[in-house]
Amino acid sequence: MRVEQTLRLGHLYPKEMNLYGDRGNILAMVRRAQRRGIGLEVIQIQMGADGADLAASCSGFFIGGGQDLDQGAVAEDLIHLKGPVLRQKVAAGAPLLAVCAGFQLLGMHYLTASGTRIPGLGLLPIHTEAGSRRLVGNLMVSADPSLRLRDPVLIGFENHSGKTYLHEDLAPLGKVVRGKGNTGQSREEGAWRGSVLGTYLHGPLLPKNPELSDWWLRVALHLESLPALDDSLEQAARLEAMAVAQRTDSFSRFRLLGRGLSTKRGR
Amino acid sequence: MAGPDLRLMAAVGASRAVGATSRKLRLGGGTTLPGDFARALDPGVLRKLASSVRAGVVLVTGTNGKTTTSALLRTLVQGSGLRVGGNPSGSNLLYGLTAAALKWADVRGRVDLDWLVLEVDELSAPQAVAEVCPRGLVILNAFRDQLDRSFEIDQVAARLQEAVLGLSPGAFWVGNADDPRVASFESRGTAAGVTRTLFGLNDPGIGHTMLPAVVDSRSCPRCRAELEFSLVYYAHCGLYHCPQCGFSRPEPQVGAETVQMKGPDGLDMDVVGQAGWRAAVSVPLGGLYNAANVAAAMAAATAMGVDPALANTSLAQFQPSFGRSQLATWRGARFRLMLAKNPAGLDENLTAVLALDKSPVIAIALNDGVADGRDISWIWDVDMERLGTTPRLSFVVSGTRASELALRLGYAGVSSDRISVRPLPAEALSELAGRALPGVPVPCLLTYTAMLAWHSLLVRSGSGTPFFQAT
Repeated sequence: MRVEQTLRLGHLYPKEMNLYGDRGNILAMVRRAQRRGIGLEVIQIQMGADGADLAASCSGFFIGGGQDLDQGAVAEDLIHLKGPVLRQKVAAGAPLLAVCAGFQLLGMHYLTASGTRIPGLGLLPIHTEAGSRRLVGNLMVSADPSLRLRDPVLIGFENHSGKTYLHEDLAPLGKVVRGKGNTGQSREEGAWRGSVLGTYLHGPLLPKNPELSDWWLRVALHLESLPALDDSLEQAARLEAMAVAQRTDSFSRFRLLGRGLSTKRGR
Repeated sequence: MAGPDLRLMAAVGASRAVGATSRKLRLGGGTTLPGDFARALDPGVLRKLASSVRAGVVLVTGTNGKTTTSALLRTLVQGSGLRVGGNPSGSNLLYGLTAAALKWADVRGRVDLDWLVLEVDELSAPQAVAEVCPRGLVILNAFRDQLDRSFEIDQVAARLQEAVLGLSPGAFWVGNADDPRVASFESRGTAAGVTRTLFGLNDPGIGHTMLPAVVDSRSCPRCRAELEFSLVYYAHCGLYHCPQCGFSRPEPQVGAETVQMKGPDGLDMDVVGQAGWRAAVSVPLGGLYNAANVAAAMAAATAMGVDPALANTSLAQFQPSFGRSQLATWRGARFRLMLAKNPAGLDENLTAVLALDKSPVIAIALNDGVADGRDISWIWDVDMERLGTTPRLSFVVSGTRASELALRLGYAGVSSDRISVRPLPAEALSELAGRALPGVPVPCLLTYTAMLAWHSLLVRSGSGTPFFQAT
């Protein structure tokens, strides 16, 4: 068996899909690989036909969140130019991690508020419907044990108006502990199957959830586990974020109760 | 002749009482509550007050620089002998605008001012324009700010565009030629009596040739193709053109030339008007974005009839606004408080600090309150990597998300021994006071509510000017 010397991380649409600190996700994977002596090269995969060849050379992929105006063009490019290669790669076990709008794009379709059905890549049996209110706030999730994360608590921030529904028996990434999640009702967050994982968690996702960076790395390397690292900075930031999530979530419930009394005010 | 407007008089009277009570009970500085009451009693209060300002109202909006630019503009107008008021506390939603106008009103609801220069929140700008019918509107830039509130920069730009289209005949608007979004705004045009003045930086000796790692907007506002930049001043502002549709940076009518930075808080420049004037000015502000703010204020002031020849004398009286390069002393140590509330702002402040500051220690405080934006993911878009490669510097991180900052710095390559985590303002200030060099101010980069907290600590111990001043 040939062991890859250097991993190639395909960063899909870094210019268009970078809304919520997604640069931090790339940085996290690079640093965690580096600290273990694993070479990791970041390949920027832009819009256009030449991206397909680049994608064919990658060991795995990441796609972040984007602005509304950019997403139509990205969806077109993703389906028609990158789709065939990505399908092949993922079928062969290459990890694909998708955040927010990237997560939505992996689904079967997106139903806009006016009823238009925009097709997605179809890598995950999910679909998203435009919602009338945004689901915004700190988000804390207890991850699916089958993912075998050492610490199953995932922490971050969500900001989406699309509601994502899972089809068939697709497993969510985890259960919502604090926050809204896929629909605001299902208490489920994200989705995963095989080497494809999508989530609404940003903040960015990976620096505060090193277990997910390691998931990507071990799937890319076809390894069962990776050597542990000193994560004290990560742990401190996680604890701080969890405390905030607990505080702000109970605050929002309290606010809901007292809605009649509260007055709406910005800063 | 119509009789006195009793409803307006009631609103003015009630707001006075509320303001006084609010200050007495220390509920706040009385910068919004009186506005709330007055608007409840007379929903037309702001429109009526605005219409009684002798020359008119000028609104200043945009993501970054509102407070400083409106303060610069007031200084310029005041220096030409006119009576001008505003909302210097930065309370910039409609309630705050109303409260500011009320402060200058007599009992009958007439505002005794020549000009009222108000900064207004970007998202409130269209409604503010509709209510006050301003004589002038200044649009500084459209960056990302408080993602969980404004959501996306496209929406912010759409609101600003709406504000421009809402201007009445006889009005002028001033826009940033260097910001492609702002420069692309449509207006009703001179035929409809709306004039446009663009400002910008005209100095090939400043700026750089690469866009920052993550910029808010690099696509053409007209055709969405990727813009090409021959020069970048800050964030996505610079000299650009679109290879697809040909949209390019228009020539500004008011440009800042020969910009010189004099230490971390001083700028010299020549501001040049296409109309044939040139003014050499100095301001106690650092950072290139402040050169743009000066150009914006000069463009607006000249549109208001102020003689540019008076500018430098007037600006000699300029005092930085609350937390904008404001100096304070505490336990013998000097601090410079700088507001850094979004990626563009923090990035620019870091550039200024790294270029010109002598302090071996820098404070950064990140809060995630509602007024700061609960979503702090933006700090990952700031180019902190350059801090990793500056080993002479160490950092005190503070705020409700101090540990997140520590993690960010760690990923930027700053070793742990150079990072000290002090979440509470008092403990951060104490440590900084112990490590500051004599006479060298410690740069403190703070989000909005962190600024309030640090400022109140410094004021309580007797240094600095209080936030809620009478004017």
